[in-house]
Amino acid sequence: MNTLLAVIIGALTVYLAYTLYARRIDRHVIQSDPKRATPATLYMDGVDFMPTNRNILFGYHFKSIAAAGPIIGAIVAANLWGWLPAIIWLILGVSFLGWASDYSGIVISVRNDGNSLSAIAHRLVSPRTRTILFVFIFFYLLLVAGAFVGIMATVLESQPKTQLGVIVLTVMGLLLGQMLYRWRTGLVGATVLTVGLTLIAILGGGWTEEVFKAFTAGLNNLSGGAPLVTYFDPTLANFKGADAKIMPSLLFWALAISAFCYAGSVLPIWRMAQPVIYVGFWITALAMVLGLTGALVAPFMKPEVAQFVIPAFRGFNPQLGPAGIMPLWPMLFVTIACGAISGWHALFGAVGTARQIQNEADMLPIGGGSMFAEFLLGLLALLAVSVGAKGAPVGAFATGLGGFISVWGLPIQYATSLAFAAFIVIVLVVTQLLFRVQRVTLSEWLGDVFPPCRNQHIASLICVALAILLMMTGTWVYLWQLFGGANQMMAALSLLLVTVWLASVGKNWMYAGLPAAFMWVTTCASILVTAYNLYSNVYQINMAAGRTIPVVGSALMILVALLLVVAALYIGLDTWRAFQRYRHRPVQQRKPAAARA
Amino acid sequence: MLTERWARLRGALAQFMYGLTGYEFARHALEMRHELESVFMVVTFGDLVGVPVLPPVYSLRLLPYVVPEIATWKRHMAQRKEFWEKDEYDLHGL
Repeated sequence: MNTLLAVIIGALTVYLAYTLYARRIDRHVIQSDPKRATPATLYMDGVDFMPTNRNILFGYHFKSIAAAGPIIGAIVAANLWGWLPAIIWLILGVSFLGWASDYSGIVISVRNDGNSLSAIAHRLVSPRTRTILFVFIFFYLLLVAGAFVGIMATVLESQPKTQLGVIVLTVMGLLLGQMLYRWRTGLVGATVLTVGLTLIAILGGGWTEEVFKAFTAGLNNLSGGAPLVTYFDPTLANFKGADAKIMPSLLFWALAISAFCYAGSVLPIWRMAQPVIYVGFWITALAMVLGLTGALVAPFMKPEVAQFVIPAFRGFNPQLGPAGIMPLWPMLFVTIACGAISGWHALFGAVGTARQIQNEADMLPIGGGSMFAEFLLGLLALLAVSVGAKGAPVGAFATGLGGFISVWGLPIQYATSLAFAAFIVIVLVVTQLLFRVQRVTLSEWLGDVFPPCRNQHIASLICVALAILLMMTGTWVYLWQLFGGANQMMAALSLLLVTVWLASVGKNWMYAGLPAAFMWVTTCASILVTAYNLYSNVYQINMAAGRTIPVVGSALMILVALLLVVAALYIGLDTWRAFQRYRHRPVQQRKPAAARA
Repeated sequence: MLTERWARLRGALAQFMYGLTGYEFARHALEMRHELESVFMVVTFGDLVGVPVLPPVYSLRLLPYVVPEIATWKRHMAQRKEFWEKDEYDLHGL
């Protein structure tokens, strides 16, 4: 297998699934009608509801849904099961589930006055569904925040070349916000300056490598070289498990990332979160475009970086830790989330994008089209990790992507630095946004019963402290899989809601109902498997060794996992009742008034 | 014919890039302006949504300028928990 063949298979998948399946559903089931008024045109207010051109909205929606998910999921899955199951799930997932979830999230909102999924659930299913959704979303965000802080701290600590780039990115983000909103500088000039300087700092990370190495050594000397926390990590020693140590330098970077996220959460969005994301977007986009095109031509220009070097298939139940299980079903289907199907997309589509759709004919190109573009991003990550077998999973990804970029003449050390930076940047900017959304969700959920949660500083600090505690367990793979389970469950719930709505208006619900049922069962099973793994591989072993922090962290994760399953069961039950109710007695649709003779 | 198609493609690409990059800033600037206008409207025409406003003489002079905004503003006010601040712009009403 080589990269050209994989890219061709990916492009064919997109073409066939879009033209033969997605368009058919759009025409015959949803019956999108360009003449029907959308919420954007009906309630236009120039802010939330604003009819927007299809191409602009496609770019906006794609940028909003493309994050670290397709990259990390592909890296973990390829290392656990091999590249073949990963690519098959990516292709089948996006073709039959992913686009349907993204597209339907927009459709259901457009056909329901631009309401959010939770508001529609409140009306169509039951009031308690909305509350459960809030709880679900909070823990879902907590899991991903914990996973991302852990991954980021590990990469930053072990890669001193990347640290300068991250610091400059933060400074440039702040500068860009000031330039755009206060000094009213033009976007192009401000972009060239801030992105250019960040890029220079990323490529020149080697200049300060020795300084940061000395800094790390100095930090570790504070504890006399002794670890702050020791925990059993089942992912070490070739997935057989070994003791890992949290050194002061790792804790320092975890706290630095937390401080960055805290600032992004409490400062006005224009001051930090938005401009940092914007600068980071350019860095990531540059690496991805160079990487994808490089992967396409690499078999002709640099064949040595285009051949898959990891095994195609590593087994149905690979070992991860001494006592854990990792069955292909259901675990693969939650490990690779965003490139195949993702709940976040539907959530965002219903709130952010649906209110700007100017024409119903745009719903498929924007919702479905963005998901297919995201699939290509997941495919690129899978290719990168499949050809770059050297080092730990993230290192392998960076080596692979760096190889693709180097096809265009950039020296390999700079290309790999750019690839590493792209990974760090995309995770970092997403993490700060996560804390922001999590803080708002916490305020909405607990603000009435525990008023201090309404304070943005207290709410942010609670979120940061919980994420750090999860990170200290050290088992980011399980955190990632729990997040994947919650994310896919969110997709299942949105598809369930769409199924109920389709039944309520007397339409064929199969295209959403079958994926919803599959994902619901799969994700419930995966969360339970992860809870079992956490208990047998982390909790018990650390308990036997008398290590408090990993025990508390893993117990919290098990509790969260059980909570997610209970929430999913409640929502599933309520949705099933509502579905039965509407299936036998669809709501009468209002028909247009007949024209008078 | 070919030139026309090329121009269309270039236009679509430019719009896509704008959606990827500048559109978010433009939207946010609009939201900030909208927030300021909302405060202004509450101060001058708050009685339309039940907030007593004492000196109506100035409001009457401003009335012709704000008539087009009144319906939208009242709808926004009806959806809000608080008059004076909007907690979040992005993902509000998740």
